[in-house]
Amino acid sequence: MESISPDGDSGDKYTINGDCSPTSNKDSNSLNHAKNIDDISTPSELKFDEDFEFEDPDVTKKRKELEKCLSNPDVVNLEQWVNFAKSKAGLISDEYRRKIWPLLVGVTQEEMTEPPSLDELSTHPEYNQVVLDVNRSLKRFPPGIPYEQRVALQDQLTVLILRVIMKYPHLKYYQGYHDVAITLLLVCGDKASFPLLCRLSYGPSAPLAPFMQTTMQPTQHLLNYMLPVIRRADERLSDCLEKSGVGTMFALPWYLTWFGHSLNRYADVVRLYDYFLCAAPLFPVYVTAALVLHRAPDVLLCDCDMAMMHCLLSRLPDDLPFEDILVTAKKLYDENDPTDLEPEVAALEKREEQQRRADEERMRRRAAERAGRGRAGGWRALPAALRRPGPRRAALALAAALLAVYVYYRPDLFREREDDL
Amino acid sequence: MSEPNEPVPGLKQKKVFKIIVLGDSGVGKTCLTYRFCEGQFLDKSEATIGVDFRERTVRIRNEDIKLQLWDTAGQERFRKSMVQHYYRNVHAVVIVYDVTKPETFHSIANWMQEVESHGLTGAPRVLVGNKCDCGTPESRLATTYAQRLADKHGMPLFETSALLDSECDNVESIFMTLAHKLYSKQPLRVLSVEGERGPRLVTLSRQKRNNSSNDSCLCS
Ligand SMILES: Nc1nc2c(ncn2[C@@H]2O[C@H](COP(=O)(O)OP(=O)(O)O)[C@@H](O)[C@H]2O)c(=O)[nH]1
Ligand SMILES: [Mg+2]
Repeated sequence: MESISPDGDSGDKYTINGDCSPTSNKDSNSLNHAKNIDDISTPSELKFDEDFEFEDPDVTKKRKELEKCLSNPDVVNLEQWVNFAKSKAGLISDEYRRKIWPLLVGVTQEEMTEPPSLDELSTHPEYNQVVLDVNRSLKRFPPGIPYEQRVALQDQLTVLILRVIMKYPHLKYYQGYHDVAITLLLVCGDKASFPLLCRLSYGPSAPLAPFMQTTMQPTQHLLNYMLPVIRRADERLSDCLEKSGVGTMFALPWYLTWFGHSLNRYADVVRLYDYFLCAAPLFPVYVTAALVLHRAPDVLLCDCDMAMMHCLLSRLPDDLPFEDILVTAKKLYDENDPTDLEPEVAALEKREEQQRRADEERMRRRAAERAGRGRAGGWRALPAALRRPGPRRAALALAAALLAVYVYYRPDLFREREDDL
Repeated sequence: MSEPNEPVPGLKQKKVFKIIVLGDSGVGKTCLTYRFCEGQFLDKSEATIGVDFRERTVRIRNEDIKLQLWDTAGQERFRKSMVQHYYRNVHAVVIVYDVTKPETFHSIANWMQEVESHGLTGAPRVLVGNKCDCGTPESRLATTYAQRLADKHGMPLFETSALLDSECDNVESIFMTLAHKLYSKQPLRVLSVEGERGPRLVTLSRQKRNNSSNDSCLCS
C-alpha cells in the first residue's frame, strides 16, 4: 500500500492509541473536512452515486403518488405502503424510505428514543466482535464521506447493535448483523433504526431472529428451502448444483444480511430492503432461489466443481435485474408455499446427515490407521533464524522458501503419511 | 471429487491443493489470502460471513498447481455446523494469530483441536503470526514463545504482515512451503534432489516485486 511508507513515522502511527487498522490518509482526511458532524442526523444527505438523468415514467408517476401520501400520511393504510414498497422501484428514494420504513414494521414515534453513549455499552461481552466488524464496514459507507462523519456513524452503529442485544440478551450477535444494522442506520438515522432493528430481531415472526440463536442450525435449515424451490423450477440446474456439491454456503451472506454484504450498489440493497421489510420472513430465501435461477446459464457452463461453483455464485455481478428477480421470487413463493416444501427439505437434510456420518466414519478410520503407525512426521525443518522477521527479511524469506523446498523434496527426512493425498 | 491425483481422461487437468485458513476473527486471514492471491493488501477488508474462496496457480517443478484457499469466518457460531463441510478433502491447514493480541494466540489450542477433530492431524499445517508491522517489539507476542508452541505441534512458524509490501515474499513462502510439501507428498513420484534448489523451482507468478533497499520491516 503506497500510503504507508516504511519510515519511522508510520511505524508510530499504528501504535498511537493502539489502532492497528491501516486506514489510509486518516490524518489528511480529518484535517480537510470542516463539515458539521450534526449532518449525520440527516443521513440521506449522504449521496451514493445515484443516477437521476433518466427516470422511468412509471417511477415518476409513483414518486408523485408517494409524495401525495406522505403529505397526509394519517389517511394512508399499511396495505398502501406495502404496495408501494413491493411494486416496481420500491420506495424510490431514501427521503421517502426514512419515513415509510418505520411504518412498514409498525414502529411508532414514541419508540424512537435517544441512544445511550458508547461508553455505557463497552463492557458487553460481544463488544469486541461488534467493533471489529463495524471497523471493517468501510465499504458500506457512501464514497467520499468525511472521516469524522464516518467514524461518528460507526460509533452509532456499534451502539445500535449493542443496544438491541442488551435489550434481548438471549439474542446472539452474528457477523452480518452489522450489515443489516448499517443499512437501517444510513436510511433512518440512529433514533428510528433502534426500534426498527428490534422488530426485525425479536418476536415469533421476526425475520432475523432465527440467525440470532445459539447455533446457526435454524439458519441453515431455513436456507435449505432454496434448493427444493430451485429444483421445482429447473431440474437440470438443480442437478448441476447438487452434483457439484456446492451446498448453500454461497447464499449464506445474502440471507444473513439481506444482500447488504454482497451487493456493491447501495440502490439495489435499499430496494431489496423495501420489499423484505414487509414480506414473509422466508421471502429472502426465495429471492436467493430466483437469483440462482436467473444465473442458470452461467451455472450450467461452470465446471462441475464445488470450489468453482461456490466462486461463481458467491460473487454477484453489478447489473442484476432485481425488479425481475423480485417478480420471479414472488411467483416462486406463491407457487411453492414453505409448508409444501417441508418434506423435500427433510429429505435433503437426511441425505446430508448420512453424508456427515460417512465422513465421520472415514475420519475415524484414518485416525485408527494413524494410531497404528505411530506419530506423523513433523516439520523439524526450518532453522529459527530463517523464520523470524528480521532486517534482511526479503532475502531470508526467499532463502527460507528455497530451503523449505529442499527439505520437502527429501521425503526420507520424514516419516510421511501418504494417505491424505 | 477433486483429489489432487484424480486422473481425468482426455484432459490434462491441473492438480489442486486445498488449503483451509483458520484463526480468530480479525487476525488477518482474509488479508493474507488476498495478499497471496492478488499480490496486494486488501484495503477495505470486510468481515467474512461463512466461507470465502480464493485461488492462485503456482508453478512447481514445471507443473502448474492450483492452490485453493478457503478463508473461513472466525466467529464461533459459524463453525459448528457450517464450516464443517469445508474440511472435507482439505489437504493442508494454515492457523493464523495476531501478534498484537495474545488472546488470539491462546485460541490456537482450540483451533488445533478442531483440526484434529476433522481427522487432519497428519495434514501439513503451518502457524502464522500476522500484523508484525503493528505495535512495538515489547507489545508483540515474543517469537520464542510462539516458536515453542509451534515446535510442540511440529509445525513451522511464520511471522509476517499482510499489510507491508516488503513482507510479500514471506507471505509467499507460507503458501509455497505448503504447496511444495503437498507436492512432495504425492505418491508414485520420483523425486530427485539434485538441482532442486535453483530459483526456477519457485516460480512466484503474479508477484509484484519492488524490493528497494529502504523497504524494511517495521517490526525489527
Ligand atoms: N496493521 C495490520 N493490519 C492488518 C494486517 N492484516 C490485516 N489487518 C487488518 O486487520 C483487520 C482484520 O483483517 P481481516 O483480514 O479481515 O481478518 P480476518 O477476520 O482474520 O479475515 C482489518 O482491518 C485489516 O485491515 C496486517 O498485516 N497489519
Ligand atoms: Mg475474514
